[in-house]
Amino acid sequence: MEIKGLKLRELRQALDKKQVSVKEVTEKYLKRIKELDEDLECYITVTEDKALKQADAAQKKIDSGNAGALTGIPMAIKDNICTEGVLTTCSSKMLEDFVPPYNATVMDKLENEGIVMLGKVSLDEFAMGGSTQTSAFKKTKNPYDKSRVPGGSSGGSASAVAADLCLAALGSDTGGSIRQPSSFCGVTGLKPTYSRVSRYGLVAFASSLDQIGPIARDSHDCALILNHICGFDPHDGTSSKKEVVDFTAKIGKDIKGVKIALPKEFYDKGIDDEVRDSVLKAAEVYKSMGAILVECSMPSLKYATAAYYLISSAEACSNLSRYDGIKYGHRSNIGSSYEELIKNSRREGFGDEVKRRILLGNYALSSGYYDAYYGKAMALKQLIRKEYNDIFAVCDAVLTPTAPTTAYRCDENISDPVKMYQADICTVTVNIAGLPAVSTPCGYDGKGLPIGMSVIGKPFDEQTVVQIADVFEQGFKRIPPVL
Amino acid sequence: MVKYLAELGKLEFTDEELVKASEDMTSIIELMDTVKEIDVTYDPILDNKNVYLNDLRADETAESLETAKILQNAKNQQNCFVVPKVVE
Repeated sequence: MEIKGLKLRELRQALDKKQVSVKEVTEKYLKRIKELDEDLECYITVTEDKALKQADAAQKKIDSGNAGALTGIPMAIKDNICTEGVLTTCSSKMLEDFVPPYNATVMDKLENEGIVMLGKVSLDEFAMGGSTQTSAFKKTKNPYDKSRVPGGSSGGSASAVAADLCLAALGSDTGGSIRQPSSFCGVTGLKPTYSRVSRYGLVAFASSLDQIGPIARDSHDCALILNHICGFDPHDGTSSKKEVVDFTAKIGKDIKGVKIALPKEFYDKGIDDEVRDSVLKAAEVYKSMGAILVECSMPSLKYATAAYYLISSAEACSNLSRYDGIKYGHRSNIGSSYEELIKNSRREGFGDEVKRRILLGNYALSSGYYDAYYGKAMALKQLIRKEYNDIFAVCDAVLTPTAPTTAYRCDENISDPVKMYQADICTVTVNIAGLPAVSTPCGYDGKGLPIGMSVIGKPFDEQTVVQIADVFEQGFKRIPPVL
Repeated sequence: MVKYLAELGKLEFTDEELVKASEDMTSIIELMDTVKEIDVTYDPILDNKNVYLNDLRADETAESLETAKILQNAKNQQNCFVVPKVVE
């Protein structure tokens, strides 16, 4: 049976009906990785032996009638999520040989469900970036055009799903790192409400913003995965005790009367014409389905990028202080004193972008600058939340472009950090406000590159976000990459 | 300034790297300066309203990782983490 391009729920049926075995599926995916990943560079580690063992266990589960929604589903995992006994590098020389002694909570959950982990996929170093080109190991390419970036930081995850080197993947999103690569690679990514999914075992970048989520072929598949990775976790001090609902429950319900907000600042100059037109066309599709489009404003958007970088870098410089070369991670051979050893280990282990974030974070927090930068950024965080609250007082969801442009060339922007930071303008407010959002394809530009739109929802209302994204996807024809 | 920030972050740069890092930081700080344009004040009471902090567990000994597992990623260990001599 041909399995290429199948959605998660289609493969589920095929496995349950015994039209194909988990082993056959796993071997086909491993073969495809061998054939295509040399060029695409999605995988840092392919876990072939583990995958085949998991395939056997999953098949037994299916044969005994105990299969769950994800049993036997081949997935890739972003390499900043701890996997017990499997290399977890964060795409950094600092963690080049780090083998976690424990599983992230999401990995325990997925393994209990019986997934098949094909391997660990690349990211920007420590998830800091939007191109996957700051990876110390695999600078992943976009399957639609290998001279272009897949986005980031979950570029390995998005590219692998788009190229069918896995059926679905986990990513993490601190400022857009699930949604923007999903947009660039023409796949669907779901960033859950902050605290929905346990961060235990996710290598910390900015703890008040980080959130794990799925990347898959459509919103329905993302919702199915979310059903099995969220829930209260005593290991994560910010984990929500909110009841876990079925995130697919509203799929298929019509959207007549649903109010969708279009904040004008997201459609302003700075957004490519083709991107803006494509998202506005999608808004018209919603209108034709009976949704009510509401024009509104989010004046704080112009400050959002700066606020995001100040908060995230302040948290990053604190989180990254743990890398001292002593307990784990790269340890320099140079340095006879404790101080020298730490400095040399960090100098050799961290890449340029990580060092920039540490410098910026220390700047924002240092005496004399704290109120003007970090304090102001925290005030802006409250303002951004208030503006979203005001919008959600009258609307059910917000529709925006996911990124100002389609995928850019691998040699563009990389040497200009400010340009890179400004490219996050469409995604960062969602993290600052802790909201759920889905990015899903809504068109292709003149070069055939995917354009993504984001549906943003009220806190913990992933059901509506998935419902609205799905109803568009039903009438949208995706064009897969030619590989 | 960058030298001072590097010291705070336990980072070290060569002279050449320092020039590049200073240039980058100048343009990054220009972008960050946009937050100064708006008059808005942080209200600590409003914050963390949506963050659900867990109840703390009882202060009792519980199962944890074995010592060998904790030490498995240390480059220099002799049943404990080895650091350069810090006391003369």
